[in-house]
Amino acid sequence: MARPHIEPFCDRDVPFKKMTLPGFPPGMQYKMLSLDKDTGACTMTVQFDAGYKQPPGFSYSDVELLIMEGGLRVGEKMCGPGYYFFIPAGVAMPEISTKTGCLALLMYNQAEPSFEESDQDCDGADRSGLIQVNAYDDLYWQEPTLFPSTAPGCLIKILRMDEKTHALSFLYCMVPGFFQDNISYHDCAEEAYHIWGTSWIMQFGYLPTGGYFWRPPYINHGPFASEHGILAFGRTDGELYNHFHYNPYSTVEENRERAAARLLHRKPELYKWIVAHGHNHPTDFEFDAKTK
Amino acid sequence: MIAKRRKRSRQVKAWLKQELKEQQERYKKIVAEMEALSPQREQWIEEFFQRIQTRGFCVHKDIRRRIKPEEIPPRPKRKLRVVY
Repeated sequence: MARPHIEPFCDRDVPFKKMTLPGFPPGMQYKMLSLDKDTGACTMTVQFDAGYKQPPGFSYSDVELLIMEGGLRVGEKMCGPGYYFFIPAGVAMPEISTKTGCLALLMYNQAEPSFEESDQDCDGADRSGLIQVNAYDDLYWQEPTLFPSTAPGCLIKILRMDEKTHALSFLYCMVPGFFQDNISYHDCAEEAYHIWGTSWIMQFGYLPTGGYFWRPPYINHGPFASEHGILAFGRTDGELYNHFHYNPYSTVEENRERAAARLLHRKPELYKWIVAHGHNHPTDFEFDAKTK
Repeated sequence: MIAKRRKRSRQVKAWLKQELKEQQERYKKIVAEMEALSPQREQWIEEFFQRIQTRGFCVHKDIRRRIKPEEIPPRPKRKLRVVY
């Protein structure tokens, strides 16, 4: 995903703009958080004005939506704060409306925002991937099961995991007084939005409510702390592995090289097989067959 | 892929162009703000080095290791870059 490194950014510092793209009904305003220059994929804070009504329809991109304030009526169902939707490209949703207004995070994953009025799924849409969950009321906070993992006091609720890439969408929180004294980087891009609260990262300072980042792979971040705690939404575009270290001066190139060297330690057989035989275009007997 | 089936209209192209222009401006502002934070960051780095030698470096969950003074990385001559 070709988005620039946007970190830190606070959406409270900028005004909403009217959504003017074709297909979208009036009454939708947005703040752009990050945008892929090649595909148009983007993440936005969105305000649906009181009285907003969107007819049944679909997007040409996978869409993720998290309600943060107010509520949306989706078909017959009233959805309040904490409701999360993953809507695969082409899957038609019922009428969406709000009487009193709604503040949400809205993400388009493969292309720019689009809306096509329709009461039927687009040809080729995969409805089995549709997720609708009340993340506040129906999911428990869990300790992350990563190795190595974050310090105690950082908890997550997994909203979605991509079966092929292991990309994650999740809620996370830090308890008051949380601290983690290490520097981290990942092999994947990472994105987060602060629904509530302020955290501190040594490289970027304080990230308040409405704070956001889109961080490409291998960029140092940490140590971390939060005095009063936070509630946030996060995503990755691949498997989240914590490369921890304590060198604040290392570059992206050095971090990438270190990650490859560590692969030799952690998965020596796989590493040797790839390097020794020039297997730099491996075939996946499961997923490659599906996409052919 | 469903997203690739759709051709962008002129209106969509114009919207993307404007948004990318604004994003570039946001990026430049962030770079300037992070540059201005440099003196404070240097102090935070010193405090981090102190903590990992006393309270310890977080290895995994509540497992910590005290870093020896000789393990503290020297400051390179190059400028510290945090935004890429």
